[in-house]
Amino acid sequence: MSTLGARALLPLRSRPVLGVDIAGALNLVGRLLKYFSGAFAAPLVVAAGYGDPVWPWLVSGAVTFAAGAGLERVTAGGEAVGAREGFLVVSLTWALVAWAVALPYMLAEPQLRNPVDAYFEAMSGITTTGSSAIADLAAITKPVAFWRDLSQWLGGMGIVVLGLAVLPKLRVAGRQLVESEAPGIEYEPLAATIRSTARRLWLTYVGISTAMFLLLSLFGWVGVDDRMTEFQAATHMMGAMATGGFSPQPRSVEPFAAASQWVITLFMAIAGANFALHYRLLRKRLNPLRDEELRGYLAFLAVGTALLFLALVRSHLFAPSEAAIRHAAFQTISIMTTTGFASTDFNAWPSLAAYVLVLLMLVGGCAGSTGGAIKVVRLLLLGKLLRRELDQAVHREAIVPIRLNGRVVDERTLRTVLAFILLYLLLLIFGTLVLLLESARAGLSVTPFHALASAATTLGNVGPSFGFSGPMGSFAAFSPFAKAVMSVLMWLGRLEIIPVAVLLSRRYWRA
Amino acid sequence: MEALHEQHAIAVVDQDTARLSELAYRYDVMTLGGNAASRRVLQDAGVPEADLVIACTSRDEVNLVAAMLAKKLSAARTIVRTTNVEYLEVWRSGQLDVDFMISSELETANAIARLIGIPAARQTDVFAEGQVLMVEFDVPPNAQSGPTVGRPLREAVIPPSSKVASIIRGNRAIVPRGDASIEPGDRVVVIGSPESARAWGAIFAAAQRRAEDVVVVGAGNFGLAVARVLAKEGAHVRLVEERPELARVAAEELEHVRVFSASPLDAGFLEREHIGAAHAAVFVLPDDARNLYAATLAKVNGVPFTVAVVLEPASVAVMERAGVDVAVNPRLVTAEEIVRFAHDPRIQQVAMVEGDRFEILDIVVRPTSPLVGRRFRELPMTGSLIGAIVRNGTAIFPHGDDMLQPGDRAIIFTEAARVPEVERTL
Repeated sequence: MSTLGARALLPLRSRPVLGVDIAGALNLVGRLLKYFSGAFAAPLVVAAGYGDPVWPWLVSGAVTFAAGAGLERVTAGGEAVGAREGFLVVSLTWALVAWAVALPYMLAEPQLRNPVDAYFEAMSGITTTGSSAIADLAAITKPVAFWRDLSQWLGGMGIVVLGLAVLPKLRVAGRQLVESEAPGIEYEPLAATIRSTARRLWLTYVGISTAMFLLLSLFGWVGVDDRMTEFQAATHMMGAMATGGFSPQPRSVEPFAAASQWVITLFMAIAGANFALHYRLLRKRLNPLRDEELRGYLAFLAVGTALLFLALVRSHLFAPSEAAIRHAAFQTISIMTTTGFASTDFNAWPSLAAYVLVLLMLVGGCAGSTGGAIKVVRLLLLGKLLRRELDQAVHREAIVPIRLNGRVVDERTLRTVLAFILLYLLLLIFGTLVLLLESARAGLSVTPFHALASAATTLGNVGPSFGFSGPMGSFAAFSPFAKAVMSVLMWLGRLEIIPVAVLLSRRYWRA
Repeated sequence: MEALHEQHAIAVVDQDTARLSELAYRYDVMTLGGNAASRRVLQDAGVPEADLVIACTSRDEVNLVAAMLAKKLSAARTIVRTTNVEYLEVWRSGQLDVDFMISSELETANAIARLIGIPAARQTDVFAEGQVLMVEFDVPPNAQSGPTVGRPLREAVIPPSSKVASIIRGNRAIVPRGDASIEPGDRVVVIGSPESARAWGAIFAAAQRRAEDVVVVGAGNFGLAVARVLAKEGAHVRLVEERPELARVAAEELEHVRVFSASPLDAGFLEREHIGAAHAAVFVLPDDARNLYAATLAKVNGVPFTVAVVLEPASVAVMERAGVDVAVNPRLVTAEEIVRFAHDPRIQQVAMVEGDRFEILDIVVRPTSPLVGRRFRELPMTGSLIGAIVRNGTAIFPHGDDMLQPGDRAIIFTEAARVPEVERTL
């Protein structure tokens, strides 16, 4: 009777209470977008310098600023961004910044006039993927080439992290934002505040980038590599440091001298390692080899290089020479760090090499690097988890905490790692199937291996695939739908799936 | 208490008045109920006139506050007992104004680690920075007569750099003259170098090797300390703890120790994990009766050497009667350390043997001592014995022709009752 009474008093289906401050989140997104418009100044200068039209950059900058400011205006007042809004802010910022980046492509590059192509190119840029929808790279202008690489360099260390570093103090819980954007399993503070941590990371990034630019330029100046102009040095530096892989050259870094290729190899490897380690090495002289993940990372690189070298020499593509070692090391490091440069056309390599490369696409760089994919630390923890399962299958009562660098990793983190790897593999399978079916529908000849490699390369933010979308090819031939799917994969891959995936759950939105 | 009350005037402060009155009937001491961290209570207890303040309540922070207050109130030296190894480290680095700090857990763990390191030993103590060891051995009742056992000492084979300090047969201590002999079932106190101690261990326990696989049962403060010390010394340590939360904490804290969350009384578990194959097992459960059962079960499963840490002094005899090889009383271990500090300032260290029936002193010889300049063979045999001397930092195990020199540190085995006499003579 009493329950009947209660039912009569309360409406049975009340409207669910919204638990997310959408206005506050949009306000912050608008603000970040507004500040991002400042990035258009750089290609504007390049365009003016090379005598190319400057209006596409002015227009794009103005539209981005207006959109950002407008969004901020409309949602004014609700600036209470908490931990939960962080997911929304990061996911939306990346989706919208990609549109901002796509604007000048639609205006200035005839090959990217289609918005789907432009968005694909832009998403590929900021997520540091490096897959290109441009069929003829020789035809693009200098400012467009520069913009492609600049978008990678900005996306590499993170747009939101950059915002936190340079923006006037945000009254927000920055930690969730950084955690959602930064690759890896946990946020590693370098200073007492998020803001100074973000600044230190960006400073380290800028510092190493400058060193690489000067080194490559030096090769051009002293005549070690005649093709290495300042423009080439700058674009390849940005592509390498961000583990992006856009090259203004139609045949990637193949035309450059061996010395330049070695330098790029080295800096790709640096970019694939944890920048917090670089900071500690540079500022506090801490030995980075004490880090378990870095040791695992180097071991992966060494094994990959050795396997490729063997495959190349056994198939008589190369004699056992410096060139064989260089190409093996370059491709291993380029693919595993998810950069995507190519020093030679590995599309023509034997199938063993192709399988090794696709597997390396799944590995990725270290946590806190600019690289994508699963990340070495997660594979390391997965290995430890499996070993523990085997151990406890025999010793039921044994309690075996899992340690990383001597510190116990809590069980919740381990569960998240497992969930991430599972989601990653599910998305990979899903992406492969969609690409396969869609290409068959569009009448495109795509083998299952090619579809798998293309899904792996976009989800892992690597860049080149095999077949027509190989290192010297282009993704232009894929159907618009396939390109849209791959754009989403790049977006999911860069943000490491979970910040985007939680937006799909009902629990996220409910109070 | 027992060790100190004869020579010193003692005031005891405790919150538990029932325990205090019990003490007051047993010993001639002044008692005072109250909080030791209170300035007024300390004043009433006479701390301003005291020479030594020992803070050994079960709460570390109370002990520290009491010691700090005592420092302000008087010129007394202070001793603080702690369960926290971190406080000990801070003190060692000179950042706590306390004269001496001791951790029962760590002292007990070190004592057990030494026991396990030397086969057949029932007690060990180190002197002169580890150069000299005192070890009390059990001679197995079924020991065969050989070059050492069952032969007059003047003919017996004695490992070099060592001396027999005493032979204990039943309740009787035998002065180790040349015609005395070591018989099966005896306990022998030896002073010597660490190598000789191991050689002695090998004589009494020919079959035993150095314990590499040790099982520790119980992951309380004592258990953790024992496991940590053993693991640090290179042993493969398995730690068994029934309560899952404690097992988890132990597993996270001790990286190189394998932790099991299981009952040490579960015969199935012991069999599955081959606990019986361990070289030694240490039992540190918070309940003496369960501890005894667990230790006995381990013995039944084949563990050759068992050590139990006991809470009640009476349990020592029960454990050893029931077949546990050694029962360690942490209170005694702690008391020993504190007594070392409270004695004559010339004394560097003190160890107690057989409860506190005998003591081993590490004392600096005065130039005016009547024994200076006499050969060892001329010294009277009184039941007190100089086992080793430390001269200029190196240990010497004296022979008959060696002479005692002023400034030598003598390591002396003596009956507890004769300690004042020894202090006077030297």
